[in-house]
Amino acid sequence: MTSLLTPTPTRGVATSGSPRRGARAWPYLTPVLALLLVWVYGPALFTGVLSFLEWNLTGAPGGFVGLDNYARLFREPEFGQAAGQTLLYAAALLPFSTIIPMFLAIMLWQRPGRASTVYRSLLFLPVMVAPVAVAVSWRFILNPLQGLANETIALVGLPPMNWLGDPASALIVIVIVTSAKVTAFNMLLYSAALSTLDRRTLEAARLERASAWETTRFVVIPQLNRTTVLLGLLSIVLAGQWVFTNVSVLTQGGPDGVTDNVYYRIYTLGFEFFETGMASAAAAIVLLFFGIASLGWVFLRRSRARG
Amino acid sequence: MSTTPRSFRRITTVATTFLAIGSVIAMTGCATSADPESAENVTITFSSYNYGTAGAAGDGTQALLDRFAELHPEITVVPEAVPVADVLTKTKTAVAADIAPDVVQLGYSKLAEALETLPIQSIEDAAGDEWADHVEGINPALVKTGTSDGTVKALPYTVSIPTVFYNADLFRAAGLDPDAPPTSIEEVSEAAAAITATGAYGAYFGIVDSGKSDYVTQSVINSSGGAIVDAEGEVTLDSPEAIAGLQAVQDLTTEGLQPAVSVDDAVAAFSSGTLGMLIMTTAVLGSINTAAEGNFELRTGAFPSFNDDDARPTHSGASLVILSDDEAKQHASWELVKFLTSKEGYTMITEQIGYLPLRADLATDPEYLAGYFEENQLLLPPLEQLETLAPYLSFPGPKANQATVLLQDNAVSPIVLRDADVKTTLTETADRIRELVG
Repeated sequence: MTSLLTPTPTRGVATSGSPRRGARAWPYLTPVLALLLVWVYGPALFTGVLSFLEWNLTGAPGGFVGLDNYARLFREPEFGQAAGQTLLYAAALLPFSTIIPMFLAIMLWQRPGRASTVYRSLLFLPVMVAPVAVAVSWRFILNPLQGLANETIALVGLPPMNWLGDPASALIVIVIVTSAKVTAFNMLLYSAALSTLDRRTLEAARLERASAWETTRFVVIPQLNRTTVLLGLLSIVLAGQWVFTNVSVLTQGGPDGVTDNVYYRIYTLGFEFFETGMASAAAAIVLLFFGIASLGWVFLRRSRARG
Repeated sequence: MSTTPRSFRRITTVATTFLAIGSVIAMTGCATSADPESAENVTITFSSYNYGTAGAAGDGTQALLDRFAELHPEITVVPEAVPVADVLTKTKTAVAADIAPDVVQLGYSKLAEALETLPIQSIEDAAGDEWADHVEGINPALVKTGTSDGTVKALPYTVSIPTVFYNADLFRAAGLDPDAPPTSIEEVSEAAAAITATGAYGAYFGIVDSGKSDYVTQSVINSSGGAIVDAEGEVTLDSPEAIAGLQAVQDLTTEGLQPAVSVDDAVAAFSSGTLGMLIMTTAVLGSINTAAEGNFELRTGAFPSFNDDDARPTHSGASLVILSDDEAKQHASWELVKFLTSKEGYTMITEQIGYLPLRADLATDPEYLAGYFEENQLLLPPLEQLETLAPYLSFPGPKANQATVLLQDNAVSPIVLRDADVKTTLTETADRIRELVG
């Protein structure tokens, strides 16, 4: 008797790994590969080439300058600071892209009903609003002389703060302003993951008379691990890009460079100073860094799997 | 297979039809492409940071374009709005993409780099025989600023100089005489102390400009006897005079007489009547005047001196440059520039936007602005200083804009807003700028 789980070979279809199957796959793969080549790998290669040239974008590319753009980049203190701040952003945004949205999603999942739907919609609202409009609204709220934020803290006797002008608070403000959108979006992804939980494990926990906390801690959260790892990795890689709009509108990298990050620095070098070679060198370094980090992650996972 | 007479006729008919259709398409195409280029009807693009903005600047620019359309129905001007901080960036990328605007309103802090890196045409050459008559009467210092390689490539368009806006009501409340505004940095400091004692904010120098322009920085350093570069183009912003000037502005902050906030926040505070003095460009006069109506009495005073000599403010604002090298478009561009910098154009700019008139005789000419200045006294103090205006200086080379941003971000902002050591900060920044501009 043939098992239901055993796939039945289809007549006429080549077996896995045969040259015939490989040849048949190419027509399907070619459009995607062509698009990747044109929009991803081609520009990445072009960026790598530009990083060895002197070019101000408007004229013809200048001569080959070797590693000069890289040397200049490492000499200027702004790039090193921006790289450090990028890591800070990644660390600061990590709880907002994992723990907090997971907590919110579980809370809403545990209490289904109309109220839950309303709360979910309200929490998701920041994702729907245009990023620049949000940033401009925050600028009014955080105005140090007449803003709502200072008026509010004055009610409890706190002194006014220069939220965006003080290096001690500017980065925290950018993180909090950005976190609303990140948390809202990731909450939705956690909600989707919660809808795929294994019902049998939840039923078993109920039969074992596990408390709500025990069910969450030992049944729900472990099943969300893959989502958490994915969102955590995305947060580390994309944190610098997520804050870009808020940095651009609210601080332009200041005060004293504390809100800068490598992506905003690349933009500044490339499209404000027209140092195309230096901007390309910075982009190449970022690509190399994340490439090595990704390889390290893959290697670590394989080692663990073997172990 | 042999070709029959019937099939031959069919082939001939089809070929003739295709030929006819092709000819019609070709003729239509020729007519379409030739139309905008003809001397009769030319379309040009005008990139402007005033166009499309809310308030007096946007309305005034639209009025200028409407009037030009009346005078020159054969020229269609397509305006392009661009944020003030992005003018150079957008123009450079447009040039790189071969969609450069024909005429650009270009800020003076970006002009030096633009002259080095953009295909800016000679306005003098575009004007031809009309040049000498047209340029007569325009402020010569400003015309000189737009000169490069021995020819004028930029004409002054919307120019303003820093002035002292002050709230006469707060002056009275502080026991100060609003008829005697401060004329020196010491008097600004004393007045700010008196105003601060009433619970309002004292004074604010708009030196950390949101558009990264250094016109107030230069005005402070010039008035202290220094300059950001000397006659040979050497960077001198760490001179004792420059240090003294910025130290005086920093002292206002450290003594609690100047709020350590951004320009936008300070303008909002002044507009709402909680800041006593605002020292910045007359370009904001229109919006501030509107905010002051029914709220407080707005007055203006001349830019203060920083030592025993007279104050030497420089200007901010923008010039007009032509990028088009097409003969017909260049001529049309010149017609637009000619109108915008004519007596009528400058009159409209002053009356409707609030920039200074750049032809000396307009302010006293009854046909143009004499009546306006009898009723509007606010522009008189900066108008008087326009005659002794210091030229706007740029760092040398194609990285002038980057050097200006470095000066503003790495030196002026930390010194004025965050109590950085003046001498050390200026010296370090000057060294970096020297390395940058070579």
